Amino acid sequence: MNKQAMVIEDDYDASVIFAKALEVLGLEVQVSHDGAEALELLADVVPDVIVLDLHLPNVVGTQILQQIRDDERLMDTRVIVATADPRMADSIKPQADLVLLKPTTFSQVRDLASKLLSVPRSQSKRQEAFDR
Amino acid sequence: MEVLNRLIDVRSTDPEDARRRKLLNLLLMGVAGITLVALLVTTLAVVFMPGAMDDAEGVTLIYGGSLAMLLSLVVIYLINRSGMGAVASSVFLVALTVIFAFSDSASQVAEGRSLFLFTIPIIMASVLLQPFASFILATLCSAVISTISMTLLDAVPTIPAILGFYIVALVSWMSARSLERALSDLHVINRELDQRVIDRTHDLAEALSRVQTESNKNQAILESIADGVIVFDQSGKAIVANPSIAMLIDRTQDEITGCDIEALMGNEVSPENREMLSGVVRGKGMGDYGTKFEWGSKTFSLSFATVQGSASESIGTVVVFRDFTREAELDRMKDAFMSMASHELRTPLNAILGYSDMLKEGVYGAMSAEQSSTLDRIIANTRRMLNLVNNLLDQAQMQAGKLTMHMSSFSVGSLVDELQSIMFILAEQKGLQLDCSIAEDVPPQVVSDPQRLQQVLVNLMGNAIKFTDQGSVSLNIKCPDQEHWALEVVDTGPGISEDAQTYIFEPFRQVDDSQARRHGGSGLGLSIVKQIVSLLNGQISLSSRVGQGSRFLVTLPLTGTEES
Repeated sequence: MNKQAMVIEDDYDASVIFAKALEVLGLEVQVSHDGAEALELLADVVPDVIVLDLHLPNVVGTQILQQIRDDERLMDTRVIVATADPRMADSIKPQADLVLLKPTTFSQVRDLASKLLSVPRSQSKRQEAFDR
Repeated sequence: MEVLNRLIDVRSTDPEDARRRKLLNLLLMGVAGITLVALLVTTLAVVFMPGAMDDAEGVTLIYGGSLAMLLSLVVIYLINRSGMGAVASSVFLVALTVIFAFSDSASQVAEGRSLFLFTIPIIMASVLLQPFASFILATLCSAVISTISMTLLDAVPTIPAILGFYIVALVSWMSARSLERALSDLHVINRELDQRVIDRTHDLAEALSRVQTESNKNQAILESIADGVIVFDQSGKAIVANPSIAMLIDRTQDEITGCDIEALMGNEVSPENREMLSGVVRGKGMGDYGTKFEWGSKTFSLSFATVQGSASESIGTVVVFRDFTREAELDRMKDAFMSMASHELRTPLNAILGYSDMLKEGVYGAMSAEQSSTLDRIIANTRRMLNLVNNLLDQAQMQAGKLTMHMSSFSVGSLVDELQSIMFILAEQKGLQLDCSIAEDVPPQVVSDPQRLQQVLVNLMGNAIKFTDQGSVSLNIKCPDQEHWALEVVDTGPGISEDAQTYIFEPFRQVDDSQARRHGGSGLGLSIVKQIVSLLNGQISLSSRVGQGSRFLVTLPLTGTEES
C-alpha cells in the first residue's frame, strides 16, 4: 500500500502545490481546507505525513496539532507545519517534526518531506509526543 | 431720653459748629431745668407754707422772671436750631451777663461776692463761641462792673476783679484752644482712618474680584477642555471633575465628585488597569503599565501630575483622560488592513512562484528551452514583485514601530549555505564569482533573528550582484573582537560616490536614477537593512570609492538573548 499523506491548508493554491510535492514522492494525498473536516478525516486514517497550515477555519492548526499529538494512533505521523508567522514558527517547533516558514516552494516541500520520510520518526520526537 | 437727645442734637456739616451748638442746647436745657425747679419750689412754698411766702410782690417777680427766662430760652433755642449758633450763643451769653448784673445788690455785683458769677459767661464764651470770645466777654463784664461802680456806687472800678476776668479769659482761651486743637487732630485722625478703611475695603474688593476673575477663567478653561479631568485628594476621592469626563464616562459631575476611584471605575476597567489607576491616584506613579487603557467602550490615554499645596506638600493628583477611542479604533483598523494587505498581496505571488516551480521541476512534463527560460523570467519578475511588496510592508511596519525581531539561536554555517544557494544562480547568470567564507573564530551558533538577518544579506548581496558587471561578490563572516561578529559583503562593482554615501541609507533614495531604471528597485532596500540591523542592536557601515567597488560591513553583538 502506498504511503498516506494529508494536506490541511485553507488556501487552494498552496494546497495544490503541497499535494503535488507529496504526490511526486509517491504518496497518496488527502486534502482538507477546513480544520473541523480535517479532524473528522483523521479519525479514519493514519497518514505518514501531514502538511498543516496554522491559519484554518473552524479549528485552528495549533489545536489540530495538539489533538494529533494526544492521539496514540498517530504516534508515527510526521507533521510539517507551514506558517507565515515567524513567532508561531518558534513556539510550535517542539510539537512539529518540521516547521516551514511561508512562502515555501514546491521543490522545498518535496525535498524536505522526502528527507523526513527517509528515516523513521525519531525516538525523542515520539517520546516528546507521549509526554504531552 | 430719646426726646431729649433729639432736642439737643443739631445737624451741621462742620463738626466744630455742631459741637458748639449742641453744647448751647445742653446749657439751655440745664438753665430751663433750673428755672422750672425754681418755679416748682416757689409754687410749693406758696401753697404749703403760706407764712413763709407772704411777699406777694416777690412771688410775682419770681413767676414773671421765670416765665420771661423760659421764653427767652425758647427763643435762643430756636435761633440755635435755625443754624445761627453764634448769634444764639452771643444772645445767651449777653443775657446771662445782664441777668448776673441784676442778680444782687450793686455793691456785691461790682465789688463783692457776686463778682465770680461773671466768670461763668467768660468761660462759656470760649467753648460756645471761638476761644478768643472769652476776652470779649471779659471786656463786656469789666464794662458792666465798671459802669455799676462808677454810676451807682461812685467808686473806682475794681481793678483786681477786671484783671481776674482777663486772667480767667486767658486760661479759658488757652484751654479751649488746646481742646479745639485736640479735637481737630482727632478729626484729622478720624478722617484718615476713614480713608484708610475705604482704601482697604476697595483694595480688598478689587483683590477679591481679581481672584474671582482668575478662578472664573480657570473654571472656564477646565470646563471647555476636551480632555476629561478629575482631581483626586490624597485618599483617592474625586474632588473636581470637568464636564468632558462626565460625558466620557457617562456620569454627571456631581456623581463623580465625592466618589473614590475604585467606586468610579467599577467593573468598566480591567482588574490590572484598576490597580494601575488606584496607584496613580494615590501618588504611586504608573509602574510598568502603558498609558492607554480601556474604560467601558472607550479607550483613554492617561496623564497625571501631583497637585502641590502652597507649602509644596502633595494635596492630591490631577488625572487627565484623553479620549483615544477613535485613534485606537483607527490603529486596530490599520493593523487589520496591514495584516490583510500583507496576506492578500503575498498569497497570489507565492502561488505563482509555487506553480512556476512545479512547471520548472517537470511535474507536468518536460519543457522546451524557450518555455523554460520564459518560466525563469516569470519567476524572476514574481520574486522582484514579492520583494517589493515585502519591502513596502516592512517599511510601513517600521514606521508604525511594529517591526519586531525574533531572536533565536541558529547555525552560521547553515545561514551561509542557504544564502549561497539563493545567490549562486543570480551570480552565475551575470558571470560573477561568488565567494563565501567563515573565519575560524566565529562561533558555530549565534543568537539573532535568522529570517531578518537573511533578509539583510539577501538585500546587500542582491545589490552587489545587481550593480557589479564583472569580477566577484563575496560574503565574509568574522569576529572583529570578543563581543562582536561581522558580516562583510564586498563587490568589485562601480563603487558609490562620497556624496551618495551620505544618503544611501535613507528611504526612497537611489544612487543614480538611470542605474535604478536599468536595475529596478524601490529604493527601500538599504533603508530597511539599516533599520533591521539597528533593531538587532548592530551597526552597518559602508566604505567605497568610485571605480573600486564597495564594502558593506554589518557588525552584530555576540551576546544576544534568545526569546523564551
